[in-house]
Amino acid sequence: MSSSNLQRALIQIWAFVFKNWIITKRNVFTLFEILFWPVVGLFSVGLLTVFLQLDADMSGFILIGVISMSVIQVCQIDVAYALLYDLWSKSIKHTFIAPVHSFQLILGSWLIGVFRSFLVFLLLSIFSVFAFGFDFLRPGIGPLVLFLLGLFLVSVLIGMSVCILVLLFGYKAEVAAWSLVSLMVLICGVYYPISILPFPLPEIAQAIPLTFFLEYFRSFYGFESGYRNLLGWGFGLSGLYLLIEMVAFKAVLHHARRTGVLIKLSE
Amino acid sequence: MALAIRAEGIYKSFRSGWWGQRRKEVLKGVDLQVEQGEIFGILGPNGAGKTTLLSILSTLLFPDRGKVEILGIDGLRDGHRIREKVNISSGNANFLWSLSVRENLHFYGMLYGLTGKAREEKVKALIEFFDLKGHEHVPFDRLSTGMKQRLSLAKSMLNDPQMLFLDEPTVGLDPEVSVRIREKIRSAQRENGMTILLTTHNMREAESLCDRIAFLKEGEIVALGSAGALKRMVRIGDVVRIEFNGPISCDQIIRAEGVINCSISGDLCEIIVDEGESRLASLIAIISQGGAQIKRVSLGQTDLEDVFIEFAKGTDSDMGLRI
Ligand SMILES: Nc1ncnc2c1ncn2[C@@H]1O[C@H](COP(=O)(O)OP(=O)(O)OP(=O)(O)O)[C@@H](O)[C@H]1O
Ligand SMILES: [Mg+2]
Repeated sequence: MSSSNLQRALIQIWAFVFKNWIITKRNVFTLFEILFWPVVGLFSVGLLTVFLQLDADMSGFILIGVISMSVIQVCQIDVAYALLYDLWSKSIKHTFIAPVHSFQLILGSWLIGVFRSFLVFLLLSIFSVFAFGFDFLRPGIGPLVLFLLGLFLVSVLIGMSVCILVLLFGYKAEVAAWSLVSLMVLICGVYYPISILPFPLPEIAQAIPLTFFLEYFRSFYGFESGYRNLLGWGFGLSGLYLLIEMVAFKAVLHHARRTGVLIKLSE
Repeated sequence: MALAIRAEGIYKSFRSGWWGQRRKEVLKGVDLQVEQGEIFGILGPNGAGKTTLLSILSTLLFPDRGKVEILGIDGLRDGHRIREKVNISSGNANFLWSLSVRENLHFYGMLYGLTGKAREEKVKALIEFFDLKGHEHVPFDRLSTGMKQRLSLAKSMLNDPQMLFLDEPTVGLDPEVSVRIREKIRSAQRENGMTILLTTHNMREAESLCDRIAFLKEGEIVALGSAGALKRMVRIGDVVRIEFNGPISCDQIIRAEGVINCSISGDLCEIIVDEGESRLASLIAIISQGGAQIKRVSLGQTDLEDVFIEFAKGTDSDMGLRI
């Protein structure tokens, strides 16, 4: 690839960073998204752990869950916004008549999501140190970075699922942007170990990479997991799903060009 | 001359209902060839399939059957390459609501791979060309219809397209703004010689802009040609009324080029021709040479509107009307 072609490809990715950034900047709603809800969530659950007089490890277990979910919610919604803003503005056809590849659309929106959700992570971690004495640096920088990377990967997977559903079902699918994460809370052991889940949920949980990333990070707080090679499973599954979702995204886009969804959603 | 569009046997139907059991045939074997540098118009009643055809040609939609070649590139297999060279603008266009005119242009400029200074200059030039100055910082949802339309046109020229698709570019605009936008389209076309395919319900627009026009009816092209040729086809034509003294022979007049019909009652001769303005001089010459003295001449021009009504007869348009 020549350097001007590379520049072209990069600026096409950057376009989606630019778009989400401007809309974030302009919108009070997004301020709520990255400040209000995460902080409210952290405090209500944090205070619950105080009331229940949980020991430091136990409340750490739960705080890791709360922080992770906020990070994932903010990051995945940025990926979903790649199409949602177009859906709400009815401008979707202009995006797909431009010579961009699906991976550019996803990658650009994910990058801004990573940035925004990292801010959320910092904010919540610092709050939880002061308010609840939770030490998020205990595992060390390396594991922390790997853990965050895992969360970001899970986010792109969820965000892409929303995009795929939007291309398939249009407006009917926008609710997925908020409900898929809640489903993760239930299944992946965000507030409890997955072993307490009734059949067949633990089996399903083992097919979701988030489960392994959470277990990995919690293992540094004295919660030994029954599994080995947690990171291998987490990243391996993430990679596999990413591949599957890229193919699915392309297929669904192809399908949308058949059914006329792109035009219908632009009128 | 090279072809900008070659479409053969395009069929398209849409499914609806829970299991897609209802099927509506929208295009029924459309063939179309448009030469490079041409401004080509598509007319037709509501629901005829104009937007659907435009969407297929611009790679937003796949046909069920048929071949599409845009600028020599296979539309079904190589859509991505086509998208680099074409663009689209539609009336009632929508863009990201909270982005300003400038930001929207920058966003789409990035999507077309324009970097740094080149994009900055392009956006600036387009804002100026489409008289958007003073509105650059207004968010899209606070623009007037006319401004939105201009933004849409500006966006469609970001990549200097070789092929431009315009779906009702002046719908909902007041006459003055429409005229200005038409001028912009024409001068942009002249500047870089792009091919334009446009749909419109405005007959004057079609007549003044288009080199050729196709009439689409219930998914089929039922007529194709220049505005003049279409008028000749429906044999309505323009009416030249001549008050005269002396001898006039209808037999002779009817043999003149472009004359469709001729009738005389008293001292009034009514001649129906394909294009009044261009035939007038030769008609006057023929009558004068025949020895008659001309007292008064008037020209009643039929326009494309009459042609439209003629072609649309018997159509079930989306309104459920029979015109
Ligand atoms: N995505 C779609 N899904 C289902 N039906 C569609 C879709 N797009 C168009 N149609 C149907 O196809 C028919 C032709 O529509 P189209 O928009 O091409 O007509 P048109 O000639 O552009 O009409 P108008 O002059 O009103 O713009 C209409 O009956 C419309 O309901
Ligand atoms: Mg239309």
